Amino acid sequence: MINTMTRNNIKVTANTNRNYLNHLTNWTLKLIASQLNLRPSLRNKLKNTDGWINFCIGMKTETGSMEQAIVFQDGHVSVLKYIPEHADATMRFINDDVLKEAAKITPNELLHLILNNQIILDGNMAYLQAFNFFVSLILGKRYKKMMEKANRLEIESKEQKYVPQDPSISKDLNDRKNSGLSTDIMDSGVRYLDEPYLSKYQLDSFPQAKKLYDLHTSTQPEISSERPVLLTQWYRTHGFETDNNGNPWVPELRQAHAFKYLMENKKAIIRPDSLIAGTICPEQVSVVIYPDTVGTMIWGELGSINDRLLAPYKISDQTAKDLHDLFPFWAKKTTRAWINKTHNYPFCQRVDERYVASFNFKTVSMSHTVPDLPRFVNDGTLAMIEEVLQEIRILEIQQTEVLDTLEQAEIVDKLNTLESMKLCLEGLNTYAENLAKEAHCLAAKETDPKRKEELNQLYEICQHVPMNPSRNLDEAVNSAWISWIGLIMENTNVSLSPGRLDQLFQPYFEKDMAELSTKDERQNYVEHAIELISCYILRNAEHHALVPDVSNYLFGGSQSQTAITVGGVTRKGKDAVNDMTYIFLKVTEILSINDPNMNARFKLGVNSDTYLKRLCEVNYITVATPSMHNDDAVIEAFKQNSDDIEDLRDWASTGCVEVTLSGKHMSHTGATSVNMVAGLEMALNNGYHPLMDWHLGPKTGRVEKHDFKTFDDFFEAFAVQQKFVIDNTVQLNNMAGEAYSYLRPTPLLSTAIQGAVSNAKDVTKGGAHYNTSGSFNIGLSDVVDSLMVIKKLVFDEQRISFPELKEAIDTNFENNVSLHAMVSRKVPRFGSGCDESVDMANRVTSLIHGCYKAHKNFRGGDYTVGFWSVAQHVAYGSLSGALPSGRLAGKAFTPGLTPDASASKSFLDNMRDVAKLDPKNMDNNIAFNVKLVPAANETRENIVNTMHAYVKTYFEQGGMQIQFNMVNSDVLKDAMANPENYKNLLVRISGYNAYFVSLNSDMQTELIERAEYGF
Amino acid sequence: MTKRPLTLEIKGNSLDDGPGIRSVIFFKGCPLSCSWCHNPESKKREVEISFDSEVCVGSHTCIDVCPKSALSFDNPFFIDRDSCDLCFECVEQCPSGALESVGHEMQVEEIVRTVVKDKPFFDSSNGGVTFSGGEPTLNMAFLAESAKGLKEQGIHVLIETSGQFNYDKFNALVYPYVDLIYFDIKLIDKELHRKYCGPTNTTILNNFKKLQQQYLAGGVKILPRTPLVPNITDTPGNLTAIASFYKEQGVTTTQLMAYHPMWQEKNLKLGIQSFLGENSCMDKWMPNQRVKECGETFTSMGIQVI
Repeated sequence: MINTMTRNNIKVTANTNRNYLNHLTNWTLKLIASQLNLRPSLRNKLKNTDGWINFCIGMKTETGSMEQAIVFQDGHVSVLKYIPEHADATMRFINDDVLKEAAKITPNELLHLILNNQIILDGNMAYLQAFNFFVSLILGKRYKKMMEKANRLEIESKEQKYVPQDPSISKDLNDRKNSGLSTDIMDSGVRYLDEPYLSKYQLDSFPQAKKLYDLHTSTQPEISSERPVLLTQWYRTHGFETDNNGNPWVPELRQAHAFKYLMENKKAIIRPDSLIAGTICPEQVSVVIYPDTVGTMIWGELGSINDRLLAPYKISDQTAKDLHDLFPFWAKKTTRAWINKTHNYPFCQRVDERYVASFNFKTVSMSHTVPDLPRFVNDGTLAMIEEVLQEIRILEIQQTEVLDTLEQAEIVDKLNTLESMKLCLEGLNTYAENLAKEAHCLAAKETDPKRKEELNQLYEICQHVPMNPSRNLDEAVNSAWISWIGLIMENTNVSLSPGRLDQLFQPYFEKDMAELSTKDERQNYVEHAIELISCYILRNAEHHALVPDVSNYLFGGSQSQTAITVGGVTRKGKDAVNDMTYIFLKVTEILSINDPNMNARFKLGVNSDTYLKRLCEVNYITVATPSMHNDDAVIEAFKQNSDDIEDLRDWASTGCVEVTLSGKHMSHTGATSVNMVAGLEMALNNGYHPLMDWHLGPKTGRVEKHDFKTFDDFFEAFAVQQKFVIDNTVQLNNMAGEAYSYLRPTPLLSTAIQGAVSNAKDVTKGGAHYNTSGSFNIGLSDVVDSLMVIKKLVFDEQRISFPELKEAIDTNFENNVSLHAMVSRKVPRFGSGCDESVDMANRVTSLIHGCYKAHKNFRGGDYTVGFWSVAQHVAYGSLSGALPSGRLAGKAFTPGLTPDASASKSFLDNMRDVAKLDPKNMDNNIAFNVKLVPAANETRENIVNTMHAYVKTYFEQGGMQIQFNMVNSDVLKDAMANPENYKNLLVRISGYNAYFVSLNSDMQTELIERAEYGF
Repeated sequence: MTKRPLTLEIKGNSLDDGPGIRSVIFFKGCPLSCSWCHNPESKKREVEISFDSEVCVGSHTCIDVCPKSALSFDNPFFIDRDSCDLCFECVEQCPSGALESVGHEMQVEEIVRTVVKDKPFFDSSNGGVTFSGGEPTLNMAFLAESAKGLKEQGIHVLIETSGQFNYDKFNALVYPYVDLIYFDIKLIDKELHRKYCGPTNTTILNNFKKLQQQYLAGGVKILPRTPLVPNITDTPGNLTAIASFYKEQGVTTTQLMAYHPMWQEKNLKLGIQSFLGENSCMDKWMPNQRVKECGETFTSMGIQVI
C-alpha cells in the first residue's frame, strides 16, 4: 500500500506504473484548464472581491497509474504531472476502475464512491468543492441531463421496489385528524382550559395559521446569502485574523462587532398574516449559510442544487454569485481547515474524514444546547446589559488594584469578553427597533382594519421587547422569537433548542386570562393563543439547516432539530403540566410538521394519565411525534453530571432527544457520533477495517490464528478497538472545540447561558455553569447480537469454530446459508426477553461509557454517552460488512438502540429489555423507535388506552425514552411508490422526524423493514 | 401427580383474546374437530412435527440425519409422516428452525413464571392471561392448578372454551379461579354440529345454560362467541337459531369472529390436506360488510354485538 505521507517516495514508485489513464486525466484536466483560461465568462469566475482564487488539487490512483494536479494561480489554470507539496487537497482513487467510473458519473453518484471509500479525499474539502464548482461550469449542462436521468431512474426504482397498494390505504392517515378524544379531567396546573384536549379545534379553525401552514408546505426552501454576505462584508473591512492596525483580533470582540453589524443591517421583515415579527432570513423558507463550518460544502453544487433529487433548494443567480464571491474568503477559515492547519492534518481527522468509524458533528455545529430564553423574555436585554455592565464595573475597579501583569492580562480578557456580550445585546436591540419601524410602516399602508390593528400591536411589542420584561403572552412569544433570531444568526441552526416553552409562556397566559371577565372573551383568547403558538412554531420551521448532498445520505430528511420540551415537573418537583402544555400539544397535532421536534416529559406519580394519554393520541394522529421521556430515568442517568436536583428537574431535550440543564449548560449534546460496529469489525480483523482497507487500529489478535481462547479474550480486543475509535473521536472533538474558541466564540449565546457573564468567559471556552459534550453511539443492538452469537455458538456451546464464523462473515454468508440461518435464529437477541442478552448490552454500554468518561472536553467538562443514531444507522450500515449476528453487508443497523425485528414476536419483550439497561451508562439519552400499528377497526379510545399502557409500564420498568411510528409497512411501501399522495407523511427516524418522501431509498427501506407490532 | 397437557405456545402482547394486554396460553388437544379449525396444530394431544418451507434454507442437514429417510424435497409436505417416528433428530439439527416440534411439556410453575413477567403490562391495561387451545379444559386438573397459580399472583384469568367439558369437574376445579369465560357457540343444529365439529352439541349447550344461569346469579361473566364460517355457521338459519337460544338464556351480548383462511397454511406445515369442499369462500378473508350483516341478526333481536 502506498503511504500518502511520504510524497517523494510515491513519485519514485509511481512513475514506473503510469498507464494511459495518466495521459487521459492529464488531457481532461488540460481541457478544463484551457476552457477556464480562454473563455472570458469562465475566467471571470477565477477571481472574487479579494482577488484571484488560488488553490491546487491533486489526484492520483493508489496503484500509481495516474498522478496529476490542477493549479489555480493568479488567474491562470495549469496542470502538473505530479502533486506538489502545497496541494490544498488530494483525491485518491483506490484503483483504475474507480477512476474510469468517476469520469462517467454525476457529482451525486461520485458521493457514493467517496462514502464507500473508493475515492479518498485528503486535505481541505472547501477547495475540492471549488474545483467541483469550476468543473460544473464547464460540464453543467451535461451534468444536468445526467442528473435528470439518474433522478428519473431512482424514482422509477422506488416505484418498482414494492407492489403498489390499494390507494385507499392513505385515507386512514388523513382521517385521524378528523376525530379526537376529549377529557373532563383536569391536571392541577391547568387553570383555564375547559377541555384540555381542545378536541373541537382543527387547523381550519385558525385561518391565519392555516394560510401560513399552506404557504409553508408549498414553498421550496431557498438558500439565503444575507447572513454570510453581511458578515463577510464586515470581516473584509475590519479583518478576521488581525484588525486594520495589524493587531490580532480578540475573537470575541471580532465576532461581536460583526454580529452587531449583521443585526443592524439585516432586513427587518414581518410576514403577511404573522402575529410574530422578524424572520431568520428574507426568503420565505430559508436555508441559512454558515461559511465557517459547513457552508463551503455546497460550493460545487451552486449550479445544480435546485436539480438534485433529495432536498433540492432554490437558489437565485445573485445568491450563487454572492456565495462564490465569499466562499474563497472562508475556505481556510472553516473548522476542519483550521484543525488541519493548526494540528498538521492529525490522524484523528484522517479517520473521521473517511466517514466510517466516526463523524465529528462539532465541525458542523456546536449549537446543541438550551439557552436561557426566560432571561430574554422575563427580564429583557436591558437588564442583561446591566448585568454585564455591573461585571465590567467590578473588573475595572479590580484593574486599578491589581499589579501582577498576568492578572492584568486576565482582567483585560474578561473585559473584552464582557464588552463583546454587551455589543451583541445592543445589536439585537437595534434589530428589534428596526422591526418596530417596519411594523409602523406596514401599519400605515395596511387597509384591512384587523391586520392594521395587529401591525400596530406589533409596533408596540417590538418597541418594548426583547429590551424590557414582557407584559403579556404576545410580547413573551415575540420576545422569545426575536431573541431566537439573534441566537440563530450567531449559532449554527442545527439543534439549538428553546426548551420548556410551556413553562415559559404559562405565567403570561394566566395573567392575560385573569384580566378577561366573560366566558366568550376567554374562549377567544384561548383560540388566539393557539393561533399565536402556531405562528411561532411555523416561524421556527421556516429556516432549514444546510444539507450538502453528502449529508442527504448521512442525515437525510433532517431539518434544524429545534427541540421543544413540555410537561414534567417544576424546579421544585411539582406537576408542570399546564394550559400551555396542552396548547403546544394541540398545535403539534394540527400542524404535524417535522420540525420543531416535540418532546414530552413524564414524571411517574406526578404527571397524570390524562396527560400521558394525550401524548399518545398526538403521537397516533401525527404518526410520529412527540417523543416521550421518563423523567425518573433521565434524571437517574444525568445526575452524574450535576448534584443540583432543581437543575436536574429543569432538563430539556436538545436536538434529537438529549439532555440539557436549561439555561445553565453548554451541553453540545450532538458533538460526535461513533459507529460501534467499526470497532467490532476491527476486533475481528486485528485492527484492520475491511471497507476502509486500512490497518488503523491496534493489533488485538487474529481470529484465524485462534488467538482468542475465551469469549472474554475477544471482548477485550473489542474493548481496545472501541477505546481506540473513541480516543480519536474525542481528540478531534477537542480540537474542534478549540477551533470554535478562535473562529467563532458566541458572545450572545454566552449572555444566555448562566455562568458565562459572571465568569466573564465565553461559553465556547468553558464559561457556562455546566460544560459537557455529548456522544451518540450507533449500532448497539447489532453489536450485542453479534457478541451473543460469538459467545454462545463459538465459546459456550462450541457449535461452530470462530474461524468458520469469520470466513462466513468475510464472504457475506454467501457460501454458508446454514450458518446464516443458525446465527440469525438460534441465539437470543437483545429484546427477546433473555437476561443474558441484556447483560451483554449493559456490558457494552458500560464499556462505551467508561471510554468517554476517561476524557475531558476542551471546555474542561465531561463527555456524555447516548445511544441514538439520527439517521446514521443507515449510512454506517451501508459502510459496514456482514456481522456475526447475520446482518448482511451494507444493510442498515437498527435505529438508535431499538432491538432487531427478529428479537421477539412480543413487543413487550423489547420494552422490558430496553428498560433493563442501566441508565447510568446512557446520560446522553437513547432513542427507542417502534413501529406500532393498530388494527383497522380499533376505536380511538382503545388505541390510546393500549399505547398508554405500553408507555406507562415501560416507564415504570425504568425505560428512558420511547416513540412510535404509527404507520404500517404497506402504507410506507405505497408512499415509496406514490410519493405525491404522502407529501406530509411524518416518520420518526432516530431522534428526529422527517417527511418520508424526502428520504433516500436506503432510509425508506430501513423504515419499511423495521420491526412492526400490530395491536 | 397431574398429567400435563402439552403447551403449544405462550403468546405475549395479545390484544385480541380478551380485555387489555394479555398473554395467551395455547394447550394442545381438542375434543372437537371442526373442519375450519384455525389452530389445527392444537387438535391432537400428542406432539407433532411441523415444517415451514418459507423458513427452510435448504441445508439438507435434516435429510442426512433422518434415520427413517422420511424427509424429501420431492414430497410436497416434505415429511412422510407414516415413516416418521418423531425422534426429532432433524429438528435438533435444523439450522434455520424450519423444522419444529409442536407442543412441549410445561410445568405450572414454568407457566406462571413466564407470564408473570408481563404482569406490569396486564395491570396497566386491565389485561391478564387467557387459556386457549385446543381446548384448555381437556386436562381439568392441570388447568385448575395453572389458573390457581395465576390468581395467586393477582392475574386476571380468562378461559376460551368450546364448551365440550365435564361441567361438574369444571365447576368444582376451575370455576373458582376464573374471571371471565369466552364460550363458543358454533352451530345450533345437532346434525350439522356432528358433521362439521365431530360430536353433537348437547353437552355444549347444556354447559352454556348452566354457566349462564350462574352468571345471572352473580357468578363469573360469560360471553358467548360465534366464529363466522362461510356457508357453515354464517347461514341465516344458524344465526337466527343462535340468537333465539340467547334470548331464551337471557344473553344480552355476543361476539362474532370474522373468518380468515390463514389456518390452511398451518395445515400445510403439519402435512394435513385442508378440507374446503365446494366452499370457495373458504379461501378469502371475510369482508367487513358480511360480518356487519351477520351482526344485524342479533341486534335486530336486541342482542348487542361487540
